[in-house]
Amino acid sequence: LTAVYFAFTGGHTTEILRLLSCLSESYSPRHYIFADSDKMSEAKIHSFEQKRSETFSNSQFTLDRIPRSREVRQSWTSSVVTTLYSILYSLPLTYKLKPDLILCNGPGTCVPVCISALLLGLLGIKRAIIVYVESICRVETLSLSGKILYHFSDYFIVQWPDLKEKYPKSVYLGRIV
Amino acid sequence: FRFKDSLAEDLRKADLVISHAGAGSCLETLEEGKPLIVVTNEKLMNNHQLELAQQLHRDGHVLCCNCSTLVETLQSMDLSTLKPFPPGQPEKFALFLDKVFGFQ
Repeated sequence: LTAVYFAFTGGHTTEILRLLSCLSESYSPRHYIFADSDKMSEAKIHSFEQKRSETFSNSQFTLDRIPRSREVRQSWTSSVVTTLYSILYSLPLTYKLKPDLILCNGPGTCVPVCISALLLGLLGIKRAIIVYVESICRVETLSLSGKILYHFSDYFIVQWPDLKEKYPKSVYLGRIV
Repeated sequence: FRFKDSLAEDLRKADLVISHAGAGSCLETLEEGKPLIVVTNEKLMNNHQLELAQQLHRDGHVLCCNCSTLVETLQSMDLSTLKPFPPGQPEKFALFLDKVFGFQ
């Protein structure tokens, strides 16, 4: 059984739920993490899990909110501060959940979560596998989260061939959402 | 209306959709098999919205125009040139993860 972690917000939520749609029950319990300013994601997750529980009896999931690490167009220096704060905030959460897998798809919120997981791995507490799936919107360039996590993730998945060429360490499976 | 929880019903009844280049809007429309005209405004849009719209246009799935050429596009469009949009395959992702974790 693999404890799973997801970090996302907003429009990314639809994408990540599609990614999860074919996963077997081995990927349970599922822990969803999203930005505390996001209202619609919670409803979407509940609806997804509700549908899932109609097929699978053993559906366990939790929801956790963390502060957004960076607002759109926030300045560089203040982003560093807010991201550090988010890392500190997500450390106890990641420690508590001790995931085997962290799956994220783009929003800035996922970077501190992944970094806190990497720290836990370095300290020998829990080594999580980080899988990053770049959004389908990204055809030719990576998002900022993508550029950062390209170097820190175990598997970096892109959905368009141009990106596979530019980022050779990435995995290309075609369109998966 | 300003914001609805879901446009799915309206989408099903529509014959033609004119939309901005948001990924959700484009993908949902294409998956319903409806013809789509994407209106782009390079001054306002984020880069990444433009990337997807351009790619979809290159692949022949949507018509593209901007605000000033919309009327002209509507007058001269030939929707039969639009190619159907195959759905994404999340099962490939599931298979990939299963291999990573040794579930097979």
